[in-house]
Formats: sequence, structure tokens, C-alpha cells
Amino acid sequence: MRRIEAILANLFGVIFLGLAAVVTIETLSRKLFNFSLQGADELGGYALAVGSTLAFSLALIGRNHIRVDVFHELLPRRVKAALNWLSIVLLAAMAILFVAVSLRVLQESLEYRSTAQTPWATPLIYPQSAWYAGLVIFMLVAVGFAARATWLLAKRRIDELNEAFHPRSSKEELRQEIEDYRQRSGAEPKERP
Amino acid sequence: MIVSATLVAFALMLAMMLIGIPIAVAMLIVGMGGGVIAYGMPFINSVASVIWGVQNESLLTAIPMFVLLGELLLRSGIADRMYLALSAWLARLPGGLLHTNIGCCALFAATSGSSVATAATIGTVALPSLHQRGYSMRHALGTLAAGGTLGILIPPSVNLIIYGSLTNNSIGKLFIAGLIPGVLLTLLFMAYIFATHVGRDAGLVQPEAEVPLAQRLRLLVHLVPPLIVFGVVMGSLYFGIATATESAALGVSIALVFAWRSGRLSLAMLQTCFHQTARISGMILLIITTAFILNLTISLTGVADALTKWVTSFGLTAISLLFALIVFYLILGMFMDVLSMQVATIPLTYPIVTALGVDPIWFGVFIVLMCELGMITPPVGMNLFVVHGIRPDKGDIRDAIWGALPYALMMILFTILLIFAPQIVTWLPERM
Repeated sequence: MRRIEAILANLFGVIFLGLAAVVTIETLSRKLFNFSLQGADELGGYALAVGSTLAFSLALIGRNHIRVDVFHELLPRRVKAALNWLSIVLLAAMAILFVAVSLRVLQESLEYRSTAQTPWATPLIYPQSAWYAGLVIFMLVAVGFAARATWLLAKRRIDELNEAFHPRSSKEELRQEIEDYRQRSGAEPKERP
Repeated sequence: MIVSATLVAFALMLAMMLIGIPIAVAMLIVGMGGGVIAYGMPFINSVASVIWGVQNESLLTAIPMFVLLGELLLRSGIADRMYLALSAWLARLPGGLLHTNIGCCALFAATSGSSVATAATIGTVALPSLHQRGYSMRHALGTLAAGGTLGILIPPSVNLIIYGSLTNNSIGKLFIAGLIPGVLLTLLFMAYIFATHVGRDAGLVQPEAEVPLAQRLRLLVHLVPPLIVFGVVMGSLYFGIATATESAALGVSIALVFAWRSGRLSLAMLQTCFHQTARISGMILLIITTAFILNLTISLTGVADALTKWVTSFGLTAISLLFALIVFYLILGMFMDVLSMQVATIPLTYPIVTALGVDPIWFGVFIVLMCELGMITPPVGMNLFVVHGIRPDKGDIRDAIWGALPYALMMILFTILLIFAPQIVTWLPERM
């Protein structure tokens, strides 16, 4: 899982750093030399389409998809477990729904040979295929998690289920930030007064 | 009929959110449910084009880009060093380091969108020294919790991008509109600290020593990178040189250069940035995707119109409606986090409010102020937990709550001021 997570995150980062570079060059050349490469906007759209689906998976793995935890904390552990299970199953159902209905977008692009309404006239099927692949990865991750949660529930391993699928609290997020800060300031170059 | 159905659906969605169903799922269930009940299965087909449409929207590319910008400045330590510089300049005012907290939060806010990261970083640096020097913990926690909220008002603000994308308003204008209220609110907080501390710093165990001017000037170097990034991002937006996404990309490029110059640009640092950016943007974008599906249902079924007619039938004026909304958001903000509150309510409140003649850009700032308030009102005030979590002494969470209370009151009064003097918000964007 860690490997997959790292690969997805790096891919995501490279997409957006690359986009930042292209857009910076485009903006500068447009303003300074009055020369536009065009299509940076279009590229941004595709970067988001692919990047966001990768990000869905990464947020899922990191348990970042927001859940309100104010009342959750007060519930008995069995009810908590039921809600935790329900949440991941519903997320998986949502991912399946996205994949199922989005297939239509691809079919239509193929059928009508749709191209983007831009100077490039990119055949839409290319970016859409990459986007769809991202959605499928999201679905696979979500279904995998839902299966694990279901298995834990079936085996009555309630505490393990709650441990693995409880809503992420601000405390956890805080601990991570403080940890990161310590590392940063530990590695601080010697120029501090 | 349609009004009561809508209110039931809205209540159902809130209930699902509050028991801990993921926000995105709750919105999708209500959005899809409503659409399918009204239009049957063909509705599902239109959902597909919404999903692609949202995710291919180059406007929304600004979200991951700004998150990445904030991460780069944070993880490379550029933001951390601002504290040193500011404390040398502000610590001699009555209230001392408390001003540094607010000022630093505001500057931090101008570069990063995450309030947890802001409060965690500044709190970790500031709280131990505040404690040591004998500052009251209540005051210290209050300034940090309140200061942390400035991040979503002072641009660049991801929350303003979300508002802009949900309501089809210019992100550039919203950013520019957030600037003056953000600065005024910062000054208001500082004026309050000044007024409550003037002549009372004698009780401090260890008052601030004056830093020699030469050294203070040298420390200003640390303010250069964040100010340049902020200047380029806001300048390019204000003068129409770049769109929001482009300005964010420019900011990312500059931040990379500064990170490299500070000797902190490493593969490990970049990977942390990528991970964090992906997680935060994935969370936001999934919620936005489902919010757009809900929006489709709302616009197709004419719910917004019906609701607007219903509300206006009470003969409310815009001002009384806004006061009612302050109460509504105050209560909602006690239980919900900022993002969920925004996406769940804007599709309903926006059409009503604008139908009564309220300026759409102004309302964006209003919504964000209400979200800020929600971050420091108990029982679920994100920032209260965060600052409480980093305090060095073992104290009660009530210190943070009481400490932040004056700031919550100031935010409400400030919002009321904006209701009666909307030009504070609308003046600058009109000059773009």
C-alpha cells in the first residue's frame, strides 16, 4: 500500500509542478513577448481531471475525506463500528457509481470523435481515458477498503475496525504537523540568530 | 410543497453529516436522490457530464495549485522564519508577543490556507516562550486560535475559491475583496490587544528586551520571500495579468526558487508536499464534485426559486435576512467544520440573498467570516482544539474557549459593520 501511495503522490506532484512550470512560462511569454503558447488553460483542465482522481485515492488512503466527529466520539463502540463500516461502504458505492456513469462520457467521445473546443482541438478521448483510469484506481482502493471493513465486521473484530476506519480527528492532524515542524526546525540551517 | 421537501432534504443531509457519514457521500445521496425522484433514471446520465465537467474545469485547478504553494512555503521553513522577524518588531508594543501571534498568523495566512498548519507552527514556536515569560495562557491561546482563522479570509484563500466556483463568481475579485476586510480584522484584533494590555505589562516575568535596530533590519530579510510571493500572486490578479490558476502557478515557481535558495529543497521535502497537497485537494475536490451534483438537482428542480419566493414572502429586508443568517451560521458553525458548512449551505442561501439585492462578492466575504467564526466557537471549533493541543502547561480547554471569545464577538461586530458599510468589501474589487 505504501508503495502505491508513494507512486500516486509522486505522479500527482509531477503533474502539478509540470503544470506550474508550463503556466509560468506561458504567462511570462504572453506578457513579455506578446507570444502565447495557448492551451495552458486546457492543459490545466486535464491536469486537474487526472490529478483530482489520484487525489481522491490518496485522500481515501490517508482518511482525509471529511467526517464530522463531534457526536461520533460520544457513541458506544458498536454503533461507532456500524457507522465506520457504513461510511466506507458508502464511499465505495459512490466510487462504483462514478465509474459506472462516467463510462458514458468516454463512449460519447469515441462515438462522436469529440475534440476540445480549443485551438489544439485535442481528441477528448485521450485525457478522458487517463481521467477514467484514475477513477477506476479510486474505485479499486475504495472497494478494497470496504471489503476489509466488511471482513472485520463479519469477524466481530470491532476495535480493529474502529481503529482502521474512524474519522480522522484534528488531534491526529495536529500531531502530524508538530512532528513535521520539529523535523523542519531540527534541520534548520545555522543562520538563526 | 417543494419548499417543505427541500427543508426535509436539507435536514436529512445535515443529520447524515452530523452522525459522521462522509460529507461528500451525504451530499451525493441528497443530490442524486432528489434528482432521481424528480426526473427518474435519465438524471443519472446528466451526472456523468457533471463529474467530467467539474474535474476538467481549469478554474478549479487553482485549488491544488494554491494548496501546493502553501505547502512549499511551509515545509521549506520560509514561513517559520517570519515569526523571528515579526517578533523583533512587534514585541515592544503593549501586549508584546501577542501582537506577534496575530501579525504572524496574518502573514502566514497570506501564504498558506491551512489553519491547522498555521496554528501548529506558530503555536509550537510561540507558546513555550509566552508561557516562560508569564503571559496569561488564556490570552495567548485566544490570539493563536483567532489569528489562525485569518487564513481563510486573507487571500489566497481556498474557501473563497470554493465559494467562487459554486456561485460562478470571479476568484480574482473575491481575493481582492478579502484583502481590506482581512487587514482591518487583523488591525482590530491588534487594537484590542493593545487596549487590554496598555500599562499592564508590568506583571510579566520577563518583558521583551529591545532588539537593536541593526539586527531588526537584518531580520527583515525573512519577510522578503513571503511578501514577494504574496505580491506576485495578488499583483498579477489585481492588474489582470493572470487568472487565479496562473497566479498560483507563478507563486509555486517563485516558492520553489526560494526553497532552493534556503537550501531546504529536497526530494523528501517535495514528497511530503505532494502527499499533503494531494490529500487536502482530494478531500476538497470530491466534496466539490458532489456539491455540483447537488447544485444540478437544485437548479433543475427550481428549488432555489421556490425557496427564494418563500423567504421573500415574509417580507424580510436584506439586512434582517443577513442578521438571521449570522445566527444560523453561528449555530451551524458550532457543530460543523468550515468546508462542509460552506458547500452544504451556499447553494441554498446564495440565490436567496442575491435575489434580495446583496452583492455576490460581498456575500462571499460574509460567508468566509461566518466560517472563521465557526472555527473558534465551541463545542466544535477546530482552532480551539488545535491551540489547546499544543499548550505547554496542562490546562483546561476552557482557557482556549474563553480566550477566543472576545475575538468571536469582534468578528460578529465586524460582520455587522460590513452589513452597514459594504463598501469596505466592494470598493477595491470595483477598481480592478
